[in-house]
Amino acid sequence: MPDSDNESGGPSNAEFSSPREQDRFLPIANVSRIMKKALPANAKISKDAKETVQECVSEFISFITGEASDKCQREKRKTINGDDLLWAMTTLGFEDYVEPLKLYLHKFRELEGEKAATTSASSGPQPPLHRETTPSSSTHNGAGGPVGGYGMYGGAGGGSGMIMMMGQPMYGGSPPAASSGSYPHHQMAMGGKGGAYGYGGGSSSSPSGLGR
Amino acid sequence: MEPSSQPQPAMGVAAGGSQVYPASAYPPAATVAPPAVASAGLQSVQPFPANPAHMSAQHQIVYQQAQQFHQQLQQQQQQQLQQFWVERMTEIEATADFRNHNLPLARIKKIMKADEDVRMISAEAPVVFAKACEIFILELTLRSWMHTEENKRRTLQKNDIAAAITRTDIYDFLVDIVPRDEMKDDGIGLPRPGLPPMGAPADAYPYYYMPQQQVPGPGMVYGAQQGHPVTYLWQDPQEQQEQAPEEQQSLHERD
Repeated sequence: MPDSDNESGGPSNAEFSSPREQDRFLPIANVSRIMKKALPANAKISKDAKETVQECVSEFISFITGEASDKCQREKRKTINGDDLLWAMTTLGFEDYVEPLKLYLHKFRELEGEKAATTSASSGPQPPLHRETTPSSSTHNGAGGPVGGYGMYGGAGGGSGMIMMMGQPMYGGSPPAASSGSYPHHQMAMGGKGGAYGYGGGSSSSPSGLGR
Repeated sequence: MEPSSQPQPAMGVAAGGSQVYPASAYPPAATVAPPAVASAGLQSVQPFPANPAHMSAQHQIVYQQAQQFHQQLQQQQQQQLQQFWVERMTEIEATADFRNHNLPLARIKKIMKADEDVRMISAEAPVVFAKACEIFILELTLRSWMHTEENKRRTLQKNDIAAAITRTDIYDFLVDIVPRDEMKDDGIGLPRPGLPPMGAPADAYPYYYMPQQQVPGPGMVYGAQQGHPVTYLWQDPQEQQEQAPEEQQSLHERD
């Protein structure tokens, strides 16, 4: 490697010694550990397979983030939140992911609500989680819910219809457009990323014979 | 001797120049490559005419067997995926700690920020992504492993990931990640993953897989060339024992 700078590199990413290169991927050790959970105990994973999955995950993050960011811009909001990501996944074909992630996000918010209450009661100077977005930058979220200081959740108004497990609205803003939890499944063309890559035959898993 | 029941012109048209015959109907006169290479070719991609009416009775039987095998494989894999999603819900329901993530939130945030259009990110977004990426890695790995098993290997390789990407629609956005060459290595029973499939076009991907041909009877030469069938292929010998034309073909081959 021409670049011998290891300041920002972990031991498991020795081959990506460049700081910029390092930041593009999730750590290979974490990725490898998760991969092993999906495989039998006696399975092995080649190094290039791990690196390929590293690249695929970064592409997945960029893919979903790009769609969520476009939605925020259309709605003239500045902050991407969890609901925007869930909406983007639905739009891009990852519907199966949304139900488990809704449950996960719901539990996370519950826990955070408890933390906020505890912090407020104990008059702590700082909330436990580090927050990049300050309340002053969320002027449109003035109407706060029970979680007073966390007005940023108001930005989720547009997609809050997807959260079926919310007993009470945790944020202000406009009421959700969707009713009874149903929302449209807009399957946007994904050709922009993958180009015009086509498959032989119809569905990629149908047992169609190939004639030549 | 050449089997008279196999009309040469029809086979020529169906084959299109590639070696696609089942082992029991392999005409010696058509051999161009050395036997070892021919044997490898027999185990690689074997396309069939799109129109069933153009198939001979022999090919129809093999085609039906291939379809049946593929359906069973597909059902098995679908069950694995359904089980996968049930496990995800169960795992999340049991989650009580949101501070220890399997993936670093700061790194996720940096990747999100790589897009210049992204301005501000709420604290919950990287948390959602940490779980989403874990699910993504698990699903991609599981689908890749299906391909590893089809090739009777125990090491997950890059070409297995390439195969999973080509087979799964929602992974279209990943096609640029894996080079096109990696996608050529596909199909069941390929003896050496690095060996290009015989007679297959560069971008041809069959969407069904041929079970190994098991011709019954002692002293069969082709028997030695068969790969080792995995557990769910054991039904084939029983099926073929009931096929009288098959035995007749094997007798012809012996001459």
